[in-house]
Amino acid sequence: MLLALSIYPLIYSVKLAAADRRNFTRLFTDRLFLTASIQTIWLTLSALSIEFLLGLALALLIDSLARGRMFFRTALLIPMLLPPVVAAVAWRLIYNPQFGVLNGTLRRLGFHTADLTWTSGESSALASVILVDVWEWTPFLFLLLSAGLQAIPPEPLEAARVDGAGAWRIFRDVTLPLLKPTIVLALLLRTMDLVRIFDQIFILTQGGPGTATETVSLYIYRTAFRFSNFGYAAAMSFVLLAATLLFSRGLLRAMRAR
Amino acid sequence: MKRTRAGWYEAARKAAALVPYLAAVAAVFIALAPVYWLLTISLKREVDQFAYPPQWIGFTATLEHYRDAFAGGSFAAYFENSVLLAAISTLAALAIGVPAAYGLARFEWPRQWDHRIGDWILSTRMLPPIVTIVPLFLMLRQARLLNSLTGLAIVYTGFNLPFVVWMMRGFFEEVPKEIEEAAMLDGESRAGALLRIVLPLVRPGLAATAVFCLVVAWNEFLFALILTQTEAAMTLPVGIASRVTQYEIKWGAMSAAGVVAMIPVLVFAAAAQKYLVRGLSLGAVKG
Repeated sequence: MLLALSIYPLIYSVKLAAADRRNFTRLFTDRLFLTASIQTIWLTLSALSIEFLLGLALALLIDSLARGRMFFRTALLIPMLLPPVVAAVAWRLIYNPQFGVLNGTLRRLGFHTADLTWTSGESSALASVILVDVWEWTPFLFLLLSAGLQAIPPEPLEAARVDGAGAWRIFRDVTLPLLKPTIVLALLLRTMDLVRIFDQIFILTQGGPGTATETVSLYIYRTAFRFSNFGYAAAMSFVLLAATLLFSRGLLRAMRAR
Repeated sequence: MKRTRAGWYEAARKAAALVPYLAAVAAVFIALAPVYWLLTISLKREVDQFAYPPQWIGFTATLEHYRDAFAGGSFAAYFENSVLLAAISTLAALAIGVPAAYGLARFEWPRQWDHRIGDWILSTRMLPPIVTIVPLFLMLRQARLLNSLTGLAIVYTGFNLPFVVWMMRGFFEEVPKEIEEAAMLDGESRAGALLRIVLPLVRPGLAATAVFCLVVAWNEFLFALILTQTEAAMTLPVGIASRVTQYEIKWGAMSAAGVVAMIPVLVFAAAAQKYLVRGLSLGAVKG
């Protein structure tokens, strides 16, 4: 079963892509593939760093509360659990420049909203997509980092406090190093999901306007299932696969180190 | 009443202690507002949906969109498809994966193998779906399983399987070997010991693993989108998506479908809360 669903498709797509060698040479001259790759990398890096910082801040914040921790933790997880399609639909309702609730609320507060086009503006579309991802997946970083924080034994923190270390010193020299394995793991897991992001963009922008939010997985989808060019789609899949494998090696090492 | 200096200091300290709570409440507001907004749209009359200023509370509620989507529309059929798919693929993945996980946990494997099997299981989980979808599409087309729930169920079983094996192996390894050895001395067969002694012990873990499979199958979009293009085999996410890309969008019915689509996930997540961290980190963080 595993064999049929993991190895065989791979062999099949090697055959498919290799049937015509131009599939691979085309990769290097395809402007759209380059754009999609750059945008995927950009999206991954920015979403990842924002989600990490926010997630860490939230984890520290909730951890410091004396009461209500369980409530806040549960409520904050909800965005991540929703079907991505449903989350994206909600954000379309929010983002719509004319009748969306975001611009409606901003206008109500006295802002000028005519230029705020969110996902339908060429320059703001990618940032808007990133914002949705941050909303949806910061909870993931928050959850894992929270669990990591709770797993830190109290003794070293206590010892540092007795030695007279300030809050920042304790965080930097004790908490952060002890949290590092969890951080690495969470970042790698998130990276792999970001690299293959599809659902939200498909609903929010379909890669547009123009090519403003085109990503590699969306481009592969279009090539294969709109233009029926399966060979070229398979060739592009390999580039994505190679990138993911690179990351997953790191991930496996991180998991084993725990 | 005039406050003393110490009194002011005390008041300021109390106010400062509230700041973290305010920040936490703000975060919860941001996390939930989009979900709440979707809910209101699904309950508003069409004239109120995009009214300015936006109506957060106090609108006239109606259930007509739910009726539209489920009684009159095709969402009831999509819902049924999604339920069937999630249930069947989860059961199948458990039926194959649990014995495999038990075998991996209990029998001696050469050290090198052990690593390799683990890595392999994990890497199938890491494959970007778009990479396997082209060949899968062509394979299913050849087997005439395109646009059928059976085809999709096989695929879902396939990508939940590695996860089941991986998670259950972890849970099995936490059960001391001696317990089932004692049972086997008492005349139980190994299968009997697994069924009657070990499985009840790992039941919470088993339930959590099942919940994860259900949620993955329930939320999955890309495979369903590509492998089922006929109305009859559509799942809930694909049904919703196919409405969004139409020219004229019926937001009410769609939000209603969205709300219905998220309810089971939230219920399941609440049920498996204790194991969320472990499942989401592929077992690496035992939360």
